Amino acid sequence: MVQELKKIMHIQGVSGREKPVMTELAGLIRPYADEVRTDALGNLIACQKGASKSGKTVMLCAHADEIGFIVTFIEKNGWIRIAPIGGLRPWNTLYREVAFSGGTRGVIVPDVGQDVDNLSFEKCYVDIGASTEKEAERMVRIGETLAVAPNLVRLRGTRYAGRPVDDRLGCAILLEIARNLSGKACPHTVYYVCSVQEEVGCRGSGPASFDIRPDYALAFDVTGTGDVPGATPMACSVGKGAAVKIKDGSVICHTEVVRRLRTLASERKIKYQDEILLHGGTDTSMMQGTGMGSKAGALSVPTRYIHSAVELFDLKDAQACADLGAAFCMAPEQED
Amino acid sequence: MDNLDLLKELCETFGPSGWEDPVKEKILEELGPLSRLVREDRAGNLILTVSGTDHSRKVMVSAHMDEVGFMVSGIEDGYLKFRTVGGIDPRVLCGRRVQILHDGRYVNGVIGSKAVHHQTEEERSQATKVKDMYIDIGSFEEGEDIPAAMCDYGTFLSEFVRFGEEDRMIKAKAIDDRLGCAILIELARELAKNHTMLPYDLYICFTRCEEIGYSGATVAASVIQPDIAVVLESTAVGDLAGTEDHARVAETGAGGVLSLVDRSTIYDEDLIRFALATGEKHGIPVQVKKWVSGGNDAGHIHKSGRGVRCLALSAPARYLHSPSTVICAQDYFCMRDLLSHMLQDLQISDFETR
Repeated sequence: MVQELKKIMHIQGVSGREKPVMTELAGLIRPYADEVRTDALGNLIACQKGASKSGKTVMLCAHADEIGFIVTFIEKNGWIRIAPIGGLRPWNTLYREVAFSGGTRGVIVPDVGQDVDNLSFEKCYVDIGASTEKEAERMVRIGETLAVAPNLVRLRGTRYAGRPVDDRLGCAILLEIARNLSGKACPHTVYYVCSVQEEVGCRGSGPASFDIRPDYALAFDVTGTGDVPGATPMACSVGKGAAVKIKDGSVICHTEVVRRLRTLASERKIKYQDEILLHGGTDTSMMQGTGMGSKAGALSVPTRYIHSAVELFDLKDAQACADLGAAFCMAPEQED
Repeated sequence: MDNLDLLKELCETFGPSGWEDPVKEKILEELGPLSRLVREDRAGNLILTVSGTDHSRKVMVSAHMDEVGFMVSGIEDGYLKFRTVGGIDPRVLCGRRVQILHDGRYVNGVIGSKAVHHQTEEERSQATKVKDMYIDIGSFEEGEDIPAAMCDYGTFLSEFVRFGEEDRMIKAKAIDDRLGCAILIELARELAKNHTMLPYDLYICFTRCEEIGYSGATVAASVIQPDIAVVLESTAVGDLAGTEDHARVAETGAGGVLSLVDRSTIYDEDLIRFALATGEKHGIPVQVKKWVSGGNDAGHIHKSGRGVRCLALSAPARYLHSPSTVICAQDYFCMRDLLSHMLQDLQISDFETR
């Protein structure tokens, strides 16, 4: 999984401008899908048709977008002014290398004399090494997106750190499930959705869900942990298995789905833990509430330092999510 | 035909969010015989359908009918206490002329507050709060029949005035978004006059309640389920003395403004490119917004149904949401012409998949 993950982490897809990474993902999932398409907003929708006529429709969703910036203005001296897209804060972003969607590289820094703790990105700029406006205009376009440069390092064993783990790791898990289920004659129809614009308020998964009208829906995303110094108490740790979401700031997961996931994990001896994320939302809520609604839940990979350049996770947890997700697709209905 | 009478009429019409009826009547009147193609949806939006050759393809163009205004929240000693409807900076309120619609007739008034020499030191050091202001409709004795009541709506009362060199600038209330409404009426007339057959069905929408975030456009978009939507709006610019270059947002007089991203929407890249190319092809100025701020009906439209590709084309406007919003007349014509060319040049098949 890690080679594929690395590959999709290195192709940019800032919210609203996900086309490059979607093209790559489409190529990767096509061998396992009966049908692959993109919708008006750019959601990638792949389908494995169910073997049974009475089968259910299951929608799996991971967002392919990442937080980043958009170029708003090029100054006379060649400085690039930017605006953030998604939940970025200067204190975890400044003095980093950034990559523009067109290939140009730069470094993001604050205007001189700024208080970094109370700073907005209006007082920051990107230095691309250009000396004049003209030179800069040849390197960067207004409207072009950029993000902190991608990176993935292996720390110890199966622990990795880098960006954007959120949520390319979820996309890698979808690919893993699609591979696992292909040729297994799953009775249920499974839709794999790599959604757009999750980081700006889950704007993509609703329309995809409206179209698919799933009976069951699972989101795959990263979640916070309570296992670091000073963390808010949270029963979720890196390395302790797939996190079965019970609730987050946007959703209360369907009890049938939660129970089903726990049952399957116990039966298949897949390591899992419960997850309640106090703040922050996921595509789960949109899939639950759009159109006629669906029974929705989520499997999360416990991740430290989310939205920084060093998002840290354990590959075994991701594999557990993939295994549990595949098991769910084969039998989503809880028998009492 | 470069005429601003239509815009003037619309700006001077009364229509705060939730009470757009006078604007609706004006729009239907201006559409004349075309109004038979208009239907009103359940949210009260007006939707004019222009049938094209291929009914499976749909394009929505929209502008909101409502404007920011006031609502009477109480009457004290003949003075009207009020709340703002939509986002109005309290600092633009004192001393302004307003009109209240009561029982079918308009009552004139002015917004007042305690005189500066009656204010405490603390009150003087900060902007007067809306709760400390009132609308004076000509003092009335207690027990007198006051021509106003709780929940009456009000708007600024402000003439449409042209000024500047060659009268190039316009000052009026409600330019946001009667300007969009005027362009759509002109568009409908032009298409009818030329018997234009577009290769798709065009839905010209006049929406309600944008200024309070409820957005009638949500319903209009769900009803229509378009492939593409173009929202006509106005955007606050900072082309003022003392503003740093990168914070000017856009320039008045430099054509309609295309938003890249705002707080509610990330706009479709292909549509932005198409709009810029159309402007270049026909020699119509158009600019890109160099700032991320605001939001409009596109925020609701793009997420409706299966998702809609959206573009926002806005008039660069100074002093938005005040009684004296200022725009450059030329920008109105630029937007009108750009929209018209875009709709005629649009190859909808270019926008089916990415």
